[in-house]
Amino acid sequence: MRQHQQTRLDIRGVACRFKKPLLLLVPLILLILLQTLAPAVAQDMSEAEYRPFPKIGSRNAAWIAAQLHLLFGSFILGVPMFAVIIEFIGWKTKDARYDRMAQEFIKLCMGAFSTTALLGGVLVFILIWCYPKVMSKLSGIFGPTMIFYVVLFFGETFTLYLYSYGWDKMQGRHKGWHLFLGVLLNVFGTAIMFVSNSWLTYQTSPGTQYGKLSDTTRQSWLESKLAQNPGMTQTEAMEGITDATVIPLHNETTGEFLATVWEAVNNFTWMPVNIHRLIGNIAFGGSIVAAYAAFRFLVAKTKEDRAHYDWMGYTGNFIALCGLIPLPFAGYWLGREIYMFNNTMGINMMGSLFSWLFIIQAVMIGVLFIGANYYLWSGMGRIDGAQIYARYRPYMIAIIVICVAIWMTPRTLSKISTSSELSAMGGANHPHLGLFGLMTAKNTAVNIIILTTFLSFLFYRRSGKSPTASWKKVGNIAISSIFFFSAVSIVVIGIVGFTVPTDLRVNVLTPYQVLIALVVMVAVTIIDIFMYRKATMSGTIKWGEMTDRSQYVLILLAITFTSLMGLMGYARSGLREAWHIFGVMQDTSPDAFTPLLSEAVNIVAIIMVIFFALVGFIFWLGLWGEKKKQQAVPTEMEEAD
Amino acid sequence: MSKTVVKVASLILMVVSFIAYIAGVSAFPIASENLLPWSVWFIISVVVNIIVWSSVMKLLTFSLAVIWFYAFVAGLVPESSTAINLTSLDWSDPESVAEQGAAIFNGKGQCSACHTVDPSAPKGRCPDLTDIGANAANRQPGLDAKTYLIESLYEPANYLVPGYGKIMPEIWKAPIALSKLEIEAVIAYLQSQGGEIDPTPYDEPIDRADPGTVAAALPPLLTGDPALGKKVFVSAACISCHAVKGIESPAAGEGSQDFEVVTAPDLSEIAAFNDMRYLEESILKPGAQIVSGYGAVTVKANGATFQGTLVSQDTEQIVVRTKKASGEEEEHTILLTELDEEPIEELANLKANGYFTLTLTPADADASVSGEIVEETEDSVTLKVGDGTQTLSKTDVKTLLTIVNFDGDEIVGSVVSGTLDDDELVLNVDGSEEVIDTFDIEDSVFTRAFGKKLLVTSPMPENFPLLLSVSDLSNLLAFLSTLTGAAATAEATPADATETSAE
Repeated sequence: MRQHQQTRLDIRGVACRFKKPLLLLVPLILLILLQTLAPAVAQDMSEAEYRPFPKIGSRNAAWIAAQLHLLFGSFILGVPMFAVIIEFIGWKTKDARYDRMAQEFIKLCMGAFSTTALLGGVLVFILIWCYPKVMSKLSGIFGPTMIFYVVLFFGETFTLYLYSYGWDKMQGRHKGWHLFLGVLLNVFGTAIMFVSNSWLTYQTSPGTQYGKLSDTTRQSWLESKLAQNPGMTQTEAMEGITDATVIPLHNETTGEFLATVWEAVNNFTWMPVNIHRLIGNIAFGGSIVAAYAAFRFLVAKTKEDRAHYDWMGYTGNFIALCGLIPLPFAGYWLGREIYMFNNTMGINMMGSLFSWLFIIQAVMIGVLFIGANYYLWSGMGRIDGAQIYARYRPYMIAIIVICVAIWMTPRTLSKISTSSELSAMGGANHPHLGLFGLMTAKNTAVNIIILTTFLSFLFYRRSGKSPTASWKKVGNIAISSIFFFSAVSIVVIGIVGFTVPTDLRVNVLTPYQVLIALVVMVAVTIIDIFMYRKATMSGTIKWGEMTDRSQYVLILLAITFTSLMGLMGYARSGLREAWHIFGVMQDTSPDAFTPLLSEAVNIVAIIMVIFFALVGFIFWLGLWGEKKKQQAVPTEMEEAD
Repeated sequence: MSKTVVKVASLILMVVSFIAYIAGVSAFPIASENLLPWSVWFIISVVVNIIVWSSVMKLLTFSLAVIWFYAFVAGLVPESSTAINLTSLDWSDPESVAEQGAAIFNGKGQCSACHTVDPSAPKGRCPDLTDIGANAANRQPGLDAKTYLIESLYEPANYLVPGYGKIMPEIWKAPIALSKLEIEAVIAYLQSQGGEIDPTPYDEPIDRADPGTVAAALPPLLTGDPALGKKVFVSAACISCHAVKGIESPAAGEGSQDFEVVTAPDLSEIAAFNDMRYLEESILKPGAQIVSGYGAVTVKANGATFQGTLVSQDTEQIVVRTKKASGEEEEHTILLTELDEEPIEELANLKANGYFTLTLTPADADASVSGEIVEETEDSVTLKVGDGTQTLSKTDVKTLLTIVNFDGDEIVGSVVSGTLDDDELVLNVDGSEEVIDTFDIEDSVFTRAFGKKLLVTSPMPENFPLLLSVSDLSNLLAFLSTLTGAAATAEATPADATETSAE
């Protein structure tokens, strides 16, 4: 009887184990079918340039589906990255808490994974239906990469299954192999993102530098230029062309594609977007996990649960911070590349149509940094012996608030000032505060915020610990000096930035500021690690004793990250203006204009509500499954007995 | 029970007010008065929800409030729309056209990103356009306000305001890509800035079907009388240098004494092969494009100076045609290597001044560097030296001083110590130091480098357009536009026939 029951349980277990993968395969198959058939379908429908989407319009439909797909995609790419890191830490430290948390992350990923695939399918369907010509053009160029994408998707899907369902089985001596699967999962995920990034970055910057082109493409480009300009000699055509010159990958008159698939992939903004998104995914994934932990913390019934989710929230936020700190640098690089690709596009981005969007961005990033610092300071409240750092808090708050205010300063006030205000100011810029609207002031402010946040983290790390290293005094002096002199250097460089030409500031001074901030973080971390290597614990961390307010901050950070991604998605796509492929394929649909910022943010708000509703549903499913599992285990045990 | 009602009511109010705010619904009316905007209803409901609900619902309320907050902040900042859909312009109301132009100027056209219309504004990337409607008429000789604006919008690099660079994109091309109607509206807006709006239609000076070209064959911008233009052609002494079938060249001494008579291109068929843009530019800026074989040049080679017409040029040699006082013409073939190096006082705009090789000595080097000029910036110059290139600073170079004393002797050397303001000056002349008494110096020249120069200029006087009135210019252009060859033949034939029959 007992054996019979055991067999029944095994069968039920196996059936349960395979039901989820089979369900996950449904959207995957849909996606593969759509993506494989896309070029052919688009070909058949190529007579129609556009088809309207009922009620909300084609652009809004594509926008909402794309942004939701991207948000879920970011989550399922970001979460496995630190799941692997945390699993590795747990394996090395033999602390089962890390392993449990990493597994919990991956469980969250499973639900999000099928939603991502489903949204991807919906997006492809909308694009093919509403924009057949655009899809025909893009699939004509990127056809091979789309097949590669499907292969990678298969790889990612099955690796995720193996990684998730093999978690309990692959413990002990198989742990190394399990970690390898985790790394492989991230490789697949990152590759998938890189491939899809190539399509959308190509739409924005369909060109690359002359030095990166193959000889065949160079020849094709030259021939097309000579054909467009009868009477022009080769020498004249090549006049002023250097390896750094941006070359369009299309015949500028006919729109014919002249280059190779790789050159289209490796377009001007591809790598900056890849890096920006890679780092952004880490920050976003961390913040969503932290928000999940905050939610679980707030509804937790036991002390143990509160302690566990407090710790999970801290870890998620820590990882989000690790991503957030270098994110402005990656963003700066991307912005610079956009300027280099097309100066008008760059001016449009920072000084024209989207200039006020970057003020909103500054508000959001200000909220992120202030929130992240607040959470760290709150966290220090649950550590004995952390009070000694409380005296620095008011100064750090002041520095961050001032820097955020500088970052939020608009360059010109012409659009929000009355004529009497303008004449009182003597122009569109405030005579004194107007200086803070310049990029050199903003870059300085960002670097100082980053250093201050890093200092907060350093204090948090040191809380409750007493260093035993004999050179601790020298070490502290060294760290203080590094902070002081680097901050002074960054400010001085910022002031010099007001007096030098733009080229020098953009290419030399700003990178120096970034370099100083990075060097400080690396150098101080190294010194601090060695100084606190054998530190004695003067107080313990009382996990679970965080305030509810701090958990709301974690949720605020997650929503802000998500809103920021939505807003920047609007900016990135909007930069193309009335072009599907910039300068090559014009948007002639009724939507061929850039929507107002307020309209765009309303769409982003709708996307946020849908996203968090879906995420909430996935979290709820997880909770529900957990409860059912907890109830089922005693029942089965009773049956077995 | 009452608490449950409050809970449900506040929850419903929050969701409804959020949706209404995002959808831009007008405020809820009570007794035909707008009670409160939806944003206020939303804030009230959020506060109530946070008070009355427990943790999960509090969390949801907080999340929705954060999302709303960002939408609210974005609604406060100024914004520009590119949603312009002009299908026609109502010229019966020019002011409304100017308003549409203003919207494009500040939105889709992105003009306001660089241009200000505010004299008190600090200097921007591009000129301030206050009173441009009136000032445009004075910017270029021969161009009225509207024509100048048309030119400036379609081909912004043509007429740069001094002090501003070539940064304005061609707005009819990507990414701005304004339609003709949109550009017309912008022109109306610009004209409304201190001037009169001129609704006269114009033809675009571009070919939109071919983004690779800018100035296609187009009718002249200025309308004139060809018959009067023919008289201008003679009276302005164009005929002294340019031949046109059917017009007799005046005998020597009969033409204007202001110009030296030189060989210039035959214009009999000029309009058959060139668009009016080209003709207009050739008159307004004679040096902009020089017809091969007609450029004036002065070169020094093997110690002799050759001044004449550049007949041909290739990578190794040039052919210069000179004219002796007797009128006899002579062609000289000169290898580029034979050109003499000329001393250069200032290392600015070398290429623009015709220099193609350079020899200079860097301040920290003993030997001079010599080579073909590959690239030039404001501060440096890149030379082709051997198989590679070398970039040299324009400022850190050794300077030679050439001194002529009152005896007529010439001394050339690098300054070791002292200046021309001191009593004495030490020069390094061929390795040995010489002390110069500055009171003995009659003339001195600083030489920073040496270079070979080939500068081709137009023999047509640069000030030619200034000698013409606007009507003369438009008449002249109208006349030139008739010189298609065919027309000349057609005109000539009846005349010839008449003469023949008279005979």
